Amino acid sequence: MSIKRKACIAGIYEHPLRKCPDQSIWQLHAEVADGALKDAGLSWEDVDGYFCGGDAPGGAMGMADYLGLTDQLTHYDTTDTGGSSYVMHVGKMAEAIVMGKCKVALCTLAGKPRTAPPTPRVPGAEQGFEGGYAGSPPNLYALAARRHMHEFGTTSEQLAWIKVAASTHAQYNPHAMLRDVVTVEDVVNSPMIADPLHMFDCCVVSEGGGAFVMTTPEIAKSLGKPIVNVLSAAQFLKGQNGGGVMDLTKSGLAVSGPRALEEAGVTTADIKYASIYDSFTITVLMQIEDMGFCAKGEGGKFVMDGNLISGVGKLPFNTDGGGLCNNHPVNRGGMTKVLEAVRQLRGEAHEKVQVPNCDIALVTGIGGTLTVRHGSAAAVLERG
Amino acid sequence: MVEIIHKYPKVAKNEETKPFWEAAKEGKFMVRRCPACGEIHWYPRTLCPLCHKAETVWEEHSGEGEIYTWTVMRKSPTGPFGLGYVKLDGGPFVYVRFRDGLTEGLEIGKKTKMVFDQINDEDVYLFADLA
Repeated sequence: MSIKRKACIAGIYEHPLRKCPDQSIWQLHAEVADGALKDAGLSWEDVDGYFCGGDAPGGAMGMADYLGLTDQLTHYDTTDTGGSSYVMHVGKMAEAIVMGKCKVALCTLAGKPRTAPPTPRVPGAEQGFEGGYAGSPPNLYALAARRHMHEFGTTSEQLAWIKVAASTHAQYNPHAMLRDVVTVEDVVNSPMIADPLHMFDCCVVSEGGGAFVMTTPEIAKSLGKPIVNVLSAAQFLKGQNGGGVMDLTKSGLAVSGPRALEEAGVTTADIKYASIYDSFTITVLMQIEDMGFCAKGEGGKFVMDGNLISGVGKLPFNTDGGGLCNNHPVNRGGMTKVLEAVRQLRGEAHEKVQVPNCDIALVTGIGGTLTVRHGSAAAVLERG
Repeated sequence: MVEIIHKYPKVAKNEETKPFWEAAKEGKFMVRRCPACGEIHWYPRTLCPLCHKAETVWEEHSGEGEIYTWTVMRKSPTGPFGLGYVKLDGGPFVYVRFRDGLTEGLEIGKKTKMVFDQINDEDVYLFADLA
């Protein structure tokens, strides 16, 4: 059984704010849900499926109750794999629709990490041995960057090109948190956070959120919006493997990425636009290799000289400015990755970054922490 | 023993890991080896996470290994600290923090040794030091 062309993303919404001192977390979920439903031309009464991640306090049960959806949902799912959850949910929502569990599925993400830091994920059995180490996203992703540099000669300047591309796109996004175009020199001269990652190698910490609505092809066609088909989705967990064979130059996307391409029946050459999870520059570089856009170890050369800039390079990425410059709400970038891919497929991206004839787009997510344990997800979307 | 510069939370121990922390107080670094596949793994678990065929058995390890990767965290309220993975001799990769104050001279391939430092009145905690 396949989900290919059996479900469509019909509505999207990204909260325009990046700092939300005056709204509650729940209010933000309601605002983005309302925005996505209005974008689709659907109403709250139509929603019979609800999907969320760990950012939703109380999970689907608590959030659906707040949203006034509890007595109408025939399907719900709170599976959390950090920032990749919302890319994974593209697959879970499509599967639920194909299985007839629901017809109009809503996925929301929202929060305000700057003013109301989210409750930390409940730790696993590793806590006793790792809990005191103050491992955090910057220093744990730095461990992958260091190893990648050691094995393949990747340089800080090459990583910097990823931020340069994101900032080039962000200048056209009026809502982006950082709109200044930066240079390679700016990145490598920014303060060192965790060797070898500089401040500009790290994503923004932003508030707000986003939502999308998925439905059946029949309902989607009745709404009059450009059709965006789900072609495939795949997920894969990577951890420490009991301390066994370890390769920190690869992410779980090395498995989930090629699987998503295969299930979609496409190759990397067919991908016109890619939303690549960009918590850090190294995250992007590793995923480009893991997807097969270039060989393992060649990512540094691949991203140089504007190769990720729309209209300039071979692989336009994160044309909204990505998590590196635009938005990484609640420290989770998967939602905004889905949203910009849909804009590109609809032809609704900013004219300066819209990819011509954008018919197939890739979305990726890495959630949790790259070098200890993470969930990876990939989805392939198509203009209908 | 080194001077403790940074703040550490109370160590989370459970039924499965209590023997590790008891041995740690005597400076012994314990790992678990599987009688079925013969491998040691990390972090310690009762059912072998590598082959799932047998319950593993505690044994003392020299704590010697080498750096697989490392970083120095600069954005820290108590000052910089080192983090990394070390590959233990004859066995697994261990995610570990370097001993307080050890932020210079870290390099991939350098020899290391596991150590326990007293982080509060009750607890010792596991760190790596350069050998």
